[in-house]
Amino acid sequence: MSMSQSESRAAERNRDLSLLVAVSLAVLGAALTWLYFIALSAGAAPRLADLAYERLPGTGVSNPVTAVLLNYRAYDTLMELAVLLAALLGIWSLGPAAPGFQRSGAVLAGMVSWVVPLLIVTGGYLLWVGGYAPGGAFQAGALLGAAGVIVRLAGDPRAGLPGEGAQRWLLVLGVLVFTLVGLGLMAFGAGFLTYPPKFAKWLILLIEMAATVAIGVALAAAYVGGRPPGPEAQPTAEDEDALTAAETPTPDPTPALRPQP
Amino acid sequence: MTDPLVLCIALPLLGAMLVTALPRWAVTLGIVAALSTASAAVALTATVWQHGTLHLMLGGWDAELAIALRADGIATALVLMANLVGLGISVYATGYFHDRIRVRSFWPLWLLLWAALNGLFLAGDLFNLYVMLELLGIAAAALGALTGNRDAVAANLRYLLVGLLGSISYLLGVALLYTAYGTLDLGLLAQGVAASPELYGVNAAAMTLMVAGLALKAALFPLHFWLPPAHANAPAPVSAALSALVVKAAFYLILRLWLDLFWPITDMAVAMLPAMLGAVAVIWGSWRALRAERLKLLAAYSTVAQIGYLFLFLPLLAATPPGPARDDLLAALLLMALTHGFAKAGFFLAAGLVQTNAGHDRIDDLGGTAQRLPATTFAIALSGSALIGLPPSGSFIGKWLLMQGAIATGQWWWVIVVTAGTLLASAYIFRVLSRAFGLEPTPLKFVTDARAEVPALTLALVSVALLGLASGPLWTLLGLGDAGGGA
Repeated sequence: MSMSQSESRAAERNRDLSLLVAVSLAVLGAALTWLYFIALSAGAAPRLADLAYERLPGTGVSNPVTAVLLNYRAYDTLMELAVLLAALLGIWSLGPAAPGFQRSGAVLAGMVSWVVPLLIVTGGYLLWVGGYAPGGAFQAGALLGAAGVIVRLAGDPRAGLPGEGAQRWLLVLGVLVFTLVGLGLMAFGAGFLTYPPKFAKWLILLIEMAATVAIGVALAAAYVGGRPPGPEAQPTAEDEDALTAAETPTPDPTPALRPQP
Repeated sequence: MTDPLVLCIALPLLGAMLVTALPRWAVTLGIVAALSTASAAVALTATVWQHGTLHLMLGGWDAELAIALRADGIATALVLMANLVGLGISVYATGYFHDRIRVRSFWPLWLLLWAALNGLFLAGDLFNLYVMLELLGIAAAALGALTGNRDAVAANLRYLLVGLLGSISYLLGVALLYTAYGTLDLGLLAQGVAASPELYGVNAAAMTLMVAGLALKAALFPLHFWLPPAHANAPAPVSAALSALVVKAAFYLILRLWLDLFWPITDMAVAMLPAMLGAVAVIWGSWRALRAERLKLLAAYSTVAQIGYLFLFLPLLAATPPGPARDDLLAALLLMALTHGFAKAGFFLAAGLVQTNAGHDRIDDLGGTAQRLPATTFAIALSGSALIGLPPSGSFIGKWLLMQGAIATGQWWWVIVVTAGTLLASAYIFRVLSRAFGLEPTPLKFVTDARAEVPALTLALVSVALLGLASGPLWTLLGLGDAGGGA
């Protein structure tokens, strides 16, 4: 009896607490909104939009969003691609993926064979259209990632991606091409990620193509949810040699959780 | 001239890509990337030394549109520290990780973390800083969970969520500032904030959101709750990076905002709150370190305390008018941050070796460590003396100037905090050392595992000897004016 009483009292206290949290969050939200409107009315109305439009002819693209993402603030985009990669590497570091789902039935398989090619073609279209209309690498990559998710749901344990070795190259493609273009421009005296207007369009397209592939593969691989299964997961003789050469006594406090070579 | 500025960020990024794509060559490529990044950092220091503060507008656009990179005295000193510590950690890691899968996971994430650190120190744009914070937080949490045991994964999942909360809070502040001033460039925003005292509410709210979010990442008391389990359960090289560098990066950003951007509103009264929290952190962190049962947990709590000291400088800086006295305070602040970076990295690397060797890191059962691992014990003692602030370490000078500043500005109560913190620190360091000696015979070899012991020893030595005895150049670096730099 006393047990349930104290339980109900605890539940009551919990309810009071969540009410308090909700009220304070609402007050905070209201205060922030009020401050936001003060800031909004403080002037600086068009902010950077006018300037971004004004400089558009020199960017190599006519879609201002793409100009911001791939030219004015290309360095941010480069680092965002690295964030995506870091997230996937974090997922991979936690262990191998769970085994694949059941093979799909005839109806689902039929739908997949229609939808996936369509997604890939649409992705390619969005990539190209990004130069002058809404679209671009992130949207195209998201469609490729969605294609991967569908393939995975249809029972492919790898979500239609190649083996680990090739997957790693595809994953790094975006940042690699982006960085190499930046450094190449620097080597030719233009400055890091400073595209000469004459080549800007093609350099941006090159970077966007690489980024699309990398984003699509990263999203699909993230959905797989772990290191890809495959022959690469087994240690090779060469690795074994390197391992014994570097061996020192008891390197880990939790030997049970580490796969023994 | 501004090439090293870009290379400090691009080289580790490139290294991370190659290490990811060619996992079989991870260690070789990783070490090459570490060496070249550290060389770029040295080149950057040399360039700043010769030419003064460097500025670079990426993409060659107007200051409003482009993302700015800049390297002034403070940023350069921290980049140099972070990269030397990073090199030490990299060398140590080649001997620490043996498991093939672990090696392949460590190097890409570590190099991405490194790129984010350098990018954060050198950024001059508020939104770019947010991207760097994200990269730093995700890479750090993934690295911290590499041991794979339940405690580590749970602690680092919490670290990830806390980090995201901090980033979002920071981003809210950035959004407010962009709405009010229409720019993200730190220099232009600083002018805007200084010219608009009528927007006090917006400025203060943005500052509160940004500083609170970053204080969560910097583990300022009472927002430190996530740090001890996350840092103590990570693999040793990762603990060293998290404690010595990642936490410091968040503090660096607070300092930047405080001094460069929000200086018109960060007066004495405002600075009192973080300083008081810092004072509690000094006492509480040191006390918990003294009571810790495990060596790595001790080191983690010691980080909470050491971060606290850095916040004590804020009211002193606010009360001191520009001039030599303020420069001294700033140099002392930097000296403490740098010394802690080297010392804590050395301490964690040595603690990792003790743990590997003994199979545990329970402080009470460490008897005989001094005989079995003399060089490692020496490294712990050296870095410990830097954590205490014994002469000639850099933190001795730092604490001295801190107390001098406190008395000069009439804020004598900080002296009590510093003294108490120092006493507690000597207690927790000597507690470890007293346990480490045993009655076993003296060994024949001083160094037992060069690849692991030399980095720890070098970092510890730098924190004690180099930073203490040769801290003069720091003043020169800080005093360097703005010499323009290249386009």
